Amino acid sequence: MAGAIIENMSTKKLVIVGVILLLFQAFAFMVGGLIAPSPATAVHYLATKCVDTVKKPQQTKWFMPWGPNQCDNIQSFDEAMAKGIEANNIVFAVHIPLPNKEMSPWFQFMLFILQFDIAFKMYNQIADGALVHIDVGLAYRDDMNSEWTEMAHSLEQRKLSCNFTATKVTHENEGRHYECDLLPFMEVGSVAHKYYLLNIRLPVNERKKINVGIAEIRDIRLVGIHQNGGFTKVWFAMKTVLTPSILIIMIWYWRRITLMSRPPVLLEKVILALGISMTFINIPVEWFSVGFNWTWMLLFGDIRQGIFYSMLLSFWIIFCGEHLMETEFFETLVLGRGELKMCDLCVPAIKILPKLGRHSTKKSQDQTERNRFSIYWKQVGPIVFGSFCLFIFDMCERGVQLKNPFYSIWASDIGTELAMAFIIVAGICACLYFLFLCFMVFQVFRNISGKRMSLPAMSKARQLHYEGLIFRFKFLMLVTLACAALTVIFFIISQVNEGHWHRGEHMVQVNSAFFTGIYGMWNLYVFAIMFLYAPSHKHYGDEQSSIQCITGDAGVNSCEDIQPTTTITHVDGPTEIYKMIGQEAQE
Amino acid sequence: MPTVSTVNLTAPLLLLLLWATHPTMATNWLSLARLPRSRPVSGAAPCARLRGLTPGQVGVCRARGEVMESVRKAAEMVIEECQHQFRNRRWNCSTTPRGINVFGRVMNQGTREAAFVHALSSAAVAVAVTRACTRGELERCGCDRKVRGVSPEGFQWSGCSDNLSYGVAFSQTFVDEPERAKGLSAGRPLMNLHNNEAGRKAILHNMQVECKCHGVSGSCELRTCWKVMPPFRRVGVVLKERFDGATEVRLTRIGSRTALLPRDSQVKPPAARDLVYLAPSPDFCRLDPENGIPGTAGRRCNGTSRLAPDGCELVCCGPGYKAGRAEVVQRCSCKFSWCCSVRCQQCKNTVTIHTCRV
Repeated sequence: MAGAIIENMSTKKLVIVGVILLLFQAFAFMVGGLIAPSPATAVHYLATKCVDTVKKPQQTKWFMPWGPNQCDNIQSFDEAMAKGIEANNIVFAVHIPLPNKEMSPWFQFMLFILQFDIAFKMYNQIADGALVHIDVGLAYRDDMNSEWTEMAHSLEQRKLSCNFTATKVTHENEGRHYECDLLPFMEVGSVAHKYYLLNIRLPVNERKKINVGIAEIRDIRLVGIHQNGGFTKVWFAMKTVLTPSILIIMIWYWRRITLMSRPPVLLEKVILALGISMTFINIPVEWFSVGFNWTWMLLFGDIRQGIFYSMLLSFWIIFCGEHLMETEFFETLVLGRGELKMCDLCVPAIKILPKLGRHSTKKSQDQTERNRFSIYWKQVGPIVFGSFCLFIFDMCERGVQLKNPFYSIWASDIGTELAMAFIIVAGICACLYFLFLCFMVFQVFRNISGKRMSLPAMSKARQLHYEGLIFRFKFLMLVTLACAALTVIFFIISQVNEGHWHRGEHMVQVNSAFFTGIYGMWNLYVFAIMFLYAPSHKHYGDEQSSIQCITGDAGVNSCEDIQPTTTITHVDGPTEIYKMIGQEAQE
Repeated sequence: MPTVSTVNLTAPLLLLLLWATHPTMATNWLSLARLPRSRPVSGAAPCARLRGLTPGQVGVCRARGEVMESVRKAAEMVIEECQHQFRNRRWNCSTTPRGINVFGRVMNQGTREAAFVHALSSAAVAVAVTRACTRGELERCGCDRKVRGVSPEGFQWSGCSDNLSYGVAFSQTFVDEPERAKGLSAGRPLMNLHNNEAGRKAILHNMQVECKCHGVSGSCELRTCWKVMPPFRRVGVVLKERFDGATEVRLTRIGSRTALLPRDSQVKPPAARDLVYLAPSPDFCRLDPENGIPGTAGRRCNGTSRLAPDGCELVCCGPGYKAGRAEVVQRCSCKFSWCCSVRCQQCKNTVTIHTCRV
């Protein structure tokens, strides 16, 4: 790679750039912590037990738990026994949201979790491997007076895994509740309407063993999770501001590359691909979710993030690979007439020039060898395979939920095993990748220390060249480690912490600060890379040319005439092709 | 002259009467459980006719009428839970056949049992109001925070799930009201206030945290947690434990204030979660109609096992117990469902019943 801007920047300018980026970073954290509310809210709902007296209704009747058209309801099941109501006549009704509130498209998604309140009774306990069969319908409407329109209907099964913590299973414990796991219930990828209604039935069929052996259910609780409107608005604003910034720097970067006389190298292409994937995430397509009912937004967001992570991991490993610096440089003397005399130990080489005069040179063949994407198959392979596994898993879960919001891959045994298989394979791929990365980094540092020892013996141009490479590598390594460490630390804090801190009368939302801060950080990272690793237009002087030799296996060197890469070719100069002559060269 | 003497006699009698009924006024609202379900408890006129409410509580009833239905449910919950927790003890939380004082004159003295009933009733109001909010039965629940404006905007900007705070606040307003009206310098009101708060704290300290991960592909990048209210049975169990470890206190003057400090100076001062009582419990064995103690005569007990908590040795007092045989019709070979229909057969059995002697 040609000299990058970072190598030619004075320390003072670098520090200024760093400080500006840090200021933006702090600003990103503050936007999340002080302006945005917490990312998501959980709302509790307790189902009302409505009574459906009609045996076989003509059309689906929707039972409303409160309000002017409230259904006939019973307060507890003891009342039901007194009135002779059967289990098949009970409909659990939940209206989302609670009275005097409306759902809004800014909520982005709705996620529901089911919890049963099951009482322990000596003679009616939960059977092993009990399955609950749920007949659920979801309806919507947009104002309080219109009819309900059905949105989804399904017969779902969920496994009941409850345990009863008591020393003795006796009459003493009658009436105490089981401790049951949360059951995933429903996930909708967009909130297009204002009011939703859920009607849940637990039909009993003793002959087919449906809903038999699930003990005594007292209540059904639902927890509805959605993203806060305020957080969504802050997030959209951030994306809208970041998109033009990254686009501008990307266009600037590509222009600099195309203005060069040589074709772009692999690393430059990878940096551009990184920029493109970042732009892909930044483009605020979600603005359309406010006006249109696009349920696939959630899945689309997952795919975008997956592409970015894959691109970032590939970039790291290719960057390490390109900086392996397994080349040797030797002094030479330009004799003219197209001939070069090289060091005593080297084989002669002839440079073929299209015309006389000063000529620019191309990069070394060694780096041409590494300049191909295909030699990285061992490292990029795990990334691609792991991402593919996660993509399939996501399609199986969120993709099917586009058709049936009540579907959950974790509900059945086969589904759970399949999901775990995909996740484990992706985990193994991630481990493989990190092993490769660590090994490559180790190789680079070993080469650096090797080069350091032989640096004083080199010419000025080559010294600068190598020092530039080393500095470039170390700088990126440091910045990447800092970003990754910050991400991990903040992730741990957000998991452990309650989510918000109080300082006097101000509340700092730690979770929101984590999201906006980390998102801003990776944007600034990509911005910094594109800015600092763009080809530099500075010249160092192109008097001296040196030969680059590749150490072969038998100790034979095949050499090529190049210019130190800290200098840039003339902007409109021709590029040369060098041929290696001699059999040793072909080795 | 004769009139002066009668006035002189009736005045202290009236005062005595007032004083006698004063301490029990706090839990008279529990009599709402005795009203038939069909009778309304909200609205200006019905509120005033509810016997058992202090004037302050009637004011709350008028202002927040829709919540009173939950208060009625809370009263029913208190009676049921108290009778469950005390079913094996000599005083089994028995209720009087009629009247506004549901548990009888036993509540007059500041005993452990009174402390338990006060704590349980304030917890029940909080739980019942929270449940009503969660069902959507109440119009105004939480979400009256002043964050980003009025309710719809507040909910849409930052969400809110403040139902429990609303329930606890209503319990403070309603159940604590009679004590505050009496002033905070007497012993019994201070004890009742402390125990009411202990009841509410029993809920707050037994909340469970549940979390759900819902980030990219369901990962824990985005995790939402919430707190679940404990079932009322659990609150009853916790308060029963506090009942067993209750501290006896007395009213002491510290400077210009009065406070309840332990009678035994070696014991550390009670925490906000502990129950306190002023007077030791009477002997619940013998029948004492003046103090509202029914005695243990005629109580059923478990004569088969000596160590069972409801064993006759523990429940019955001095005279012991006697055994008798009776023919009962029980349900047997029942087919259960998850609710409602229980199809059973009737079996006739001859069982031995043990009861306490008089």
